[in-house]
Amino acid sequence: MNDRGVGASIPRKEDDRFLMGTGEFTPDVRIAGMWHAAFNRAPIAHGRLLSVKAPKGAEGQVFSSADMADIKPIRSTASFPGFKGADFPVLARDKVRYAGEQVAIAVAPTRAEAEDIADAIEVEYEALPAVVDMNDGREPSAALVHDHWADNVCCETEFANGALEAAKEAAVHTVHRRFRMARQTPFPMEGRGTLAHYDSRLDELVVWMSHQLPHPMQRGIAHFLDLEINRVRVICPDVGGGFGLKTHLDGETMAVCWTSLRLGRPIKWVQDRLEHLICDADCRNHQYTMTAYTDEIGKILGMEVECVVDAGAYSPWPWPIGVEAATGVGNLQGPYTVDALKGRSVTVCTNKPPSQPFRGVARPGACFTDELTMDAIARTVGREPWEVRLDNLVPPEAMPYDTVTRKHLDSGDYPEAFRRCVAAIDPEAVRERQRTPEPDGRLIGVGFACFYEQTAYGTGPFGYSAWGIELVPGMEMATVKLTPDGGLWASVGIQCHGQGLETTLAQVATSELGIDPDRIAIRHGDTATAYAGTGTYASRSIVVAGGAVAQGCRELKPRLARIGAHLLQCDEAEVAVENAEVRGPGGSVSFAEIAEAFYHHPENLPDDTDRGGLTVTTGYNDKVHGGVFGFGAHGAVVAVDPETGQVEILDYAIVDDCGTRVNPLVVKGQVIGGYAQGIGNALYEESDYDENGQPLSVTLADYHVPAAPMVPDIKYDYMESPSPYSTMGIKGVGESGAIGPVGAIGNAVNDALKGLGVEIAETPITPRRVFDAIERGRAS
Amino acid sequence: MTSTTITVNGRAVTADVEPRLSLADFLREHEGLTGTHTACEHGVCGACTIMLDGRPARSCITLAVAAHGTDVRTVEGWDGDGTMATIRDCFRKAHAVQCGYCTPGMLATAYDIVTRLPGADRDRIRLELSGNLCRCTGYIGIVDAIETAIAEIEGGS
Repeated sequence: MNDRGVGASIPRKEDDRFLMGTGEFTPDVRIAGMWHAAFNRAPIAHGRLLSVKAPKGAEGQVFSSADMADIKPIRSTASFPGFKGADFPVLARDKVRYAGEQVAIAVAPTRAEAEDIADAIEVEYEALPAVVDMNDGREPSAALVHDHWADNVCCETEFANGALEAAKEAAVHTVHRRFRMARQTPFPMEGRGTLAHYDSRLDELVVWMSHQLPHPMQRGIAHFLDLEINRVRVICPDVGGGFGLKTHLDGETMAVCWTSLRLGRPIKWVQDRLEHLICDADCRNHQYTMTAYTDEIGKILGMEVECVVDAGAYSPWPWPIGVEAATGVGNLQGPYTVDALKGRSVTVCTNKPPSQPFRGVARPGACFTDELTMDAIARTVGREPWEVRLDNLVPPEAMPYDTVTRKHLDSGDYPEAFRRCVAAIDPEAVRERQRTPEPDGRLIGVGFACFYEQTAYGTGPFGYSAWGIELVPGMEMATVKLTPDGGLWASVGIQCHGQGLETTLAQVATSELGIDPDRIAIRHGDTATAYAGTGTYASRSIVVAGGAVAQGCRELKPRLARIGAHLLQCDEAEVAVENAEVRGPGGSVSFAEIAEAFYHHPENLPDDTDRGGLTVTTGYNDKVHGGVFGFGAHGAVVAVDPETGQVEILDYAIVDDCGTRVNPLVVKGQVIGGYAQGIGNALYEESDYDENGQPLSVTLADYHVPAAPMVPDIKYDYMESPSPYSTMGIKGVGESGAIGPVGAIGNAVNDALKGLGVEIAETPITPRRVFDAIERGRAS
Repeated sequence: MTSTTITVNGRAVTADVEPRLSLADFLREHEGLTGTHTACEHGVCGACTIMLDGRPARSCITLAVAAHGTDVRTVEGWDGDGTMATIRDCFRKAHAVQCGYCTPGMLATAYDIVTRLPGADRDRIRLELSGNLCRCTGYIGIVDAIETAIAEIEGGS
């Protein structure tokens, strides 16, 4: 038995190249004759674009939308009620709608020269009032982001399930709160980037992209450039982090592709950090108004909620405006047995960059809302928040459980995972400590958060197909091939940008066939090598590509058995296929011997050898379509300095359950990486704007990405509740860690502040926000 | 153009460069040493950290002309260095690498910590790492790796 398959904490296969500096990211790719691109960008948030003029001598090196009449605007589709598709122009056309919007592309032999030209382009604008805040954008007096619309609301959804009126009547307590999350940027260490090159031998536009979705980008680039899909190849090489940012088709990429075709030369654009902080400040900007109805002890009977999302200026492709809001409302009951929920979402266009999903999509917002509401309920009913949570969590005996928002929670013991988290934090000891004032005057607080993570979902109710969008994931494909020397080659339509899938998918195949992971090559991120796929996002790839690879291996087995039995001169029914060999009653043949016979000595093959050969292309489509559900419980102890508003994390615990762990080392890494981003979400990261829509968070001195001292060690524990629906019971885990910290830290801060009678309800919980809240408490 | 001579990974390189060219771009574009990554280009994130005369330096805010006469070591230049081999092995075992983009800069800083501060505890390691951002790992694996590397090198010497 090879013990390096599923469940083994083996170091990653991909580490060597990164540790030696020999990885290949898009900025590292060079092609002879390549030029570089830079963009001229709008200096104002809203205005009419009057003219664009190239500097003297650079006329053939500057292009604007006037030159690109043959490119279609990037247009997304959705069936959300009232959906208005805000076309995303490749380069600004007629108007600019956010500061930093790309207006013209400049190209030159070096990046420095391209930037010089881009800076010298003369652009005339007529400034217009900007819509900066989503609530202001809903006012009748607001400027219109899109002139031909009657207002700035670009979609509204409603959802109701259960007997809310009865819940209201039965309720003993009503808890009402409003929560907000600041705008953020996903901040992968490598920004976006594209290199386009026309390969005349193949009559093919080859596009290297720092991206998570190779096949959708192939389709989008072909469609919007009006090319046959056969004429576009997308390669996503090593990608320096994505986190959701690299899931849309950006205007810069389209402009680079167009310019490369126009000039007949390779063109590379690498986003710099200033561009990233300005143009990709694009996520988390939500506002939730929550009313919860509870019985005497805090059991939630019903919820009423409005979610407003600041969508920015345009609807991205392929995930359109409205997905964030639908995800926000669709998860607000959390992992709790709430029987009635009425939700409404409003998505508002503003003069800010188009909003994108960021790790967890709207789930961190939903977690912040339902978890801070849970603690507010606990304070209202006079019980401890961990006791109230235990009364509300879905019990194991109710699994599988259909939530009020129609999520089919498949497996898990949520109360047990939460109890372990509570035990790790020991809140009773915190209560004891709180009885005595701290010598340094700081206030101590403890908080928890519980959440589920919907992973690998596709079609089904409240899945992608219900939203009427253009690309619906669900069927994920893999090709597996036994190589002539008995190794395995597998290509998949997902893309790996840090998740370790080159290792974990190999481990899945190892468990099926017994071939060592070192002899298994996983190929991803290239439309020329993978049959089909939709890429990596929404915690899906190990579930869907893992399922497809496993299925491919399983379909290879009978073919191997037939040839192996023939070589062993025994009956097919007598052989077992395992441990990289076919074993019969009198001996065994290795996969290498079988491959040798198939590829080079067909004279030794049985007559009925499968004409499909030793390669299989097959797919995975889960049995329930709505995804498989992980669970997490987070707990935090914080110290809040009432003089400065500074929050310090003193203790943090995570208990996570992602079903079968393919590689525990990688699982823990995903959870901890998410936790660090959650700390940024909770305490530090904010893309701020002034009243004119000018971005204020444009350097790393203004935008605070957590550094090592801001991310303390944690107490980590796990449970394994395999999904009954997925291959090997695997669930996704990519987003989990990022969902909980806003809830746990937010609750811990509010617990610390409770003696002052104030609460925090907005992220990030900066010293200024804490200080202001304390001042408000003192004033009232 | 200014003539500049820099020793890169043990080999003297002379080139005519623009005064505004950064050392990072010199290494990447002129020398083809793409293991040095740029991520913020304003001296904060540490992805571009290299060794300059034996000390970690930001190659994105160091001009190539200012590096004239110096000895530069990039991630590609550690062949045969036992300390770096130990650090790399510890990074691998502690899952201190995810997307790999910050890794070359992390290794340079890790090398500096391990050699300059052999008594560093976890808090000190974190403090020393505060000039290197990582968006994937949450740092805990990196701190584990450096702590283990210190112990292994201490134990072995």
